[in-house]
Parts: sequence; C-alpha cells; structure tokens
Amino acid sequence: MLGEELGLKNPARNAVAVYLHAAGIEAGYGFFAPNVPSNYKLVFEVRYPDNHVEYELPEIGDAATAFRLESLLDRIADLTYEEMRQVMLQMLTRPVWQKHPDATAIRVVMGYTIWPSPKQFQAGQRETFDPVLAYDFDLRPANITNRKP
Amino acid sequence: MIGRTIAGWLEQFLFYRESDRWISVLRIGLGLQVTCLCLALRRDWIYLLSSDARALISRDLMEAALNAQSSLIPRLGWLVRGAGGLGLSESTTLWTVWVALILAGCFLVIGFFSRIAAVVAWFLYLCVARSVGYFSYGVDNLTIIGLFYLMIVPLGDGWSLDSIVRHRSGNSQLVSFFRRILQIHMCLIYFFGGFSKLAGAGWWNGTNLWRALTVPPFHFVDPEFVLRWKLFLPAAGLVICGLEFLYPIFIWPRPTRNIWLIGICMMHLSIGLTMGMFLFAFIMIVLNIAAFAPVTGNLGAVFRRRGAGVLGSDDGA
Repeated sequence: MLGEELGLKNPARNAVAVYLHAAGIEAGYGFFAPNVPSNYKLVFEVRYPDNHVEYELPEIGDAATAFRLESLLDRIADLTYEEMRQVMLQMLTRPVWQKHPDATAIRVVMGYTIWPSPKQFQAGQRETFDPVLAYDFDLRPANITNRKP
Repeated sequence: MIGRTIAGWLEQFLFYRESDRWISVLRIGLGLQVTCLCLALRRDWIYLLSSDARALISRDLMEAALNAQSSLIPRLGWLVRGAGGLGLSESTTLWTVWVALILAGCFLVIGFFSRIAAVVAWFLYLCVARSVGYFSYGVDNLTIIGLFYLMIVPLGDGWSLDSIVRHRSGNSQLVSFFRRILQIHMCLIYFFGGFSKLAGAGWWNGTNLWRALTVPPFHFVDPEFVLRWKLFLPAAGLVICGLEFLYPIFIWPRPTRNIWLIGICMMHLSIGLTMGMFLFAFIMIVLNIAAFAPVTGNLGAVFRRRGAGVLGSDDGA
C-alpha cells in the first residue's frame, strides 16, 4: 500500500490509508486473476474420551456468509504471523467445542481441495483434500492449550 | 498553445451537458445493494461482527489487525464504545447499525434525504466491512466505491423524492464531471482485472472457468452440465478476458459502447446466476449502467410540470 514504509504514526501514511479505505480502493482489482485461487477447507476432528472421532465443518447461518468464510480461509492460509493464525483457528474451534462439550480435544485441519480437470472429472475423479496445517486444541476450561503437530 | 488546447479538451471532456439519470441509477442500485447485503447477512450478523464468545472470529482481533494500516480507519469498535458510554450493549449497537443500514438503503431507493442517507450508508458500511476485514471480499469494496461516489455526487436527481417534494436538484455542472470520474474508474477496474487474468494460463485453456463454475462454494451449476460445454470453456475464458481487458477501448466509442456494455452486463449476470454471487453481479451491473448507459428521463420534472398544469415532453436534461 502507498506509504506503507512510513511509520505507523506518520500523518501522511494515515491520511493515505484512511482515504484508500474510505474510497474502497485499497485493494487491487484482480478478481479470480491470474488464476482462480486455491479452495481452502477447514475440518474439525472432534475426539471423545472413548477415542471415537466425529468430523465437523464450520457452521454458517446464511448462504452469503459462505463466500466470506472462503475469504477468511484464504487469508488465514496467507498469514505469515503464525501466532495470529493459531489464535484465529482457535476462535473458529470454539463454536465446535461448544457444540460438543463432552469432547476431550479438537484437531483443526486446514487444507485445500484439489479439483479435478474436466478430463479427470469425466473419468470419475472427484475432489481430494490435501491437508496443509493441523492444530490440536484442548479447550476444556482447566486445560486451554494448543499444540501444532 | 498546446497547453491551452489540452485544457480546452479536458474541459469539454469533463464538463458537458449531462442528464442526472445516472445518479438515479447509482442511488437506487446502491440502496437496493446495501439493503440486500444486510438482509443476506441477518442470521450471521452477530456471528460475524461480535467481539465476544458468540463471534466466529472476534471483531477486536480484526480491528487490531486493521491498526497495522492505520488506527484512524473507521470501524464498528468506535460505535460500540460510544454506544457503550450511553449504556447500550454491543449486541444492541450492532443491531442498531443493521437497522440503520437498511433504513439508509430504503431512503436511498426512494431518494428521500438522499445526502444524509448516502453518508450514513457509506460510513456504516465502511465500518462493517473494515471491522470484518478478514471476511470481506470484492463485493464490499465495490459497494464502498459506489457509496463513496454517491456521497459526493450532486444529489437531488430527477427520480428522487427530494426533487419532487423539496424541489431540490443537484449542481448540473458537476454531474458530468463525476460521471467521467466513475467511467475512468470502471475502465481501470476492468483493464487491470482483464490484464491480470490474461497472465493466468488457466484463462487461456478454460481451466479457470471450469474451476470457477464448479468449485464450492461457487458450484451453483451441476459440473456434469458444465462438462457438456467443455469445448467452449477456453473460448468463454478468453471472451471474459477480452471483455475486461479491452473495456477501456471499446466502451468509449458510440458504435461499440452499447455492445460492450451489454456484453459486460451479461457476463456479470452469468456470474451471478452460475456462481451464486448475486450481489457482486448486481453492484457491477449498477456501476456499469450508471457509468456508461444512455439513461435519460426526468420523473421529477414530469411531476412538477403536471403539478403546474403544464403538459410537455421530458427533455431528459
């Protein structure tokens, strides 16, 4: 962004940032360019005391939120600040844990779906999930920890 | 001499006799857009915007990340803190923002207190979009672009209640100036969108179109159906790139303007219908029509003439 190399408190930097955001022009216009981006997916592995595992996907109420969730996952994948990513994934895990209060641990697996080409699709091949990140969260109140496997 | 010629050309280019109907299109379109965006998010409003345990991602975290760019960028946190000082809970404030946005959208549609409605809609939508920056996508930025223009253009256009009830009309000299700015902005959007698409091999061989149409959450069309048309995918991909990349060339000359405008609107309509991105398609069509469509007609003038007992044709100015 313009003026990004200036200090955070620099008035010129702030003026430029506020104007760009206010006018909606702080981002580029490369929608689906140069290629349609990778399609990230989040899967929660919910572990119970008897070692059985259930799988959950992030829950949303409105169809319009699906596009927003897609953006969120793209941005989480692009994050270079590891701690930020962990905190965000932990937040995404919270509703799943609330839904499964008896669970002992939840593993969050983030990956992207590999979509077959038209030829592969015609041959019967379907999407495959390629995990790229996984975090274990133990969200029981007395034991809030996380571990990156 | 050359400087005077250029200045004269610029003056002719920017300031000419222009109907304010494009402002009506922009105002009504953006009013509908803001209203529909809020209605589409009604069930997830608190889930997306809250800062407490009910949030998918805490708003506080996203606003803290926004500080890395500037702490002066408008955000919901300001409103929540301000309302908190008056004893209002976060939830009440967020729902008040939702209602205010819908009201502003409705006021824009009918054109009543248009300026106030435009400023309120722009500011609140900007706050919402920036506070959930990690969740935002193209539709938010394009809506903000539209609202920003709407906030500064001469309002009181002929199709608004303001012009009928309050007999207000905008500064006609600036009507053409702002339309030119919007036109140039649209050209930049499509040029860079098309240019960067051309750099992707997937747009040349149809892979990107296949992916765009079939990968969740954009899979509104059965992949088997898309497969039936796979031979046309490379051509369709190149048509999209061409429509965007060549937009700044073919949208200006009168003989090609309508063809290009219809082509680009059809492209967005197809995106809306086949990928489920209805509001993204809608805002792009609104911006295109506002920028380049030959819209004329003056309801306010017609009403006023009838009110004065004058029967006359609409001059469209």
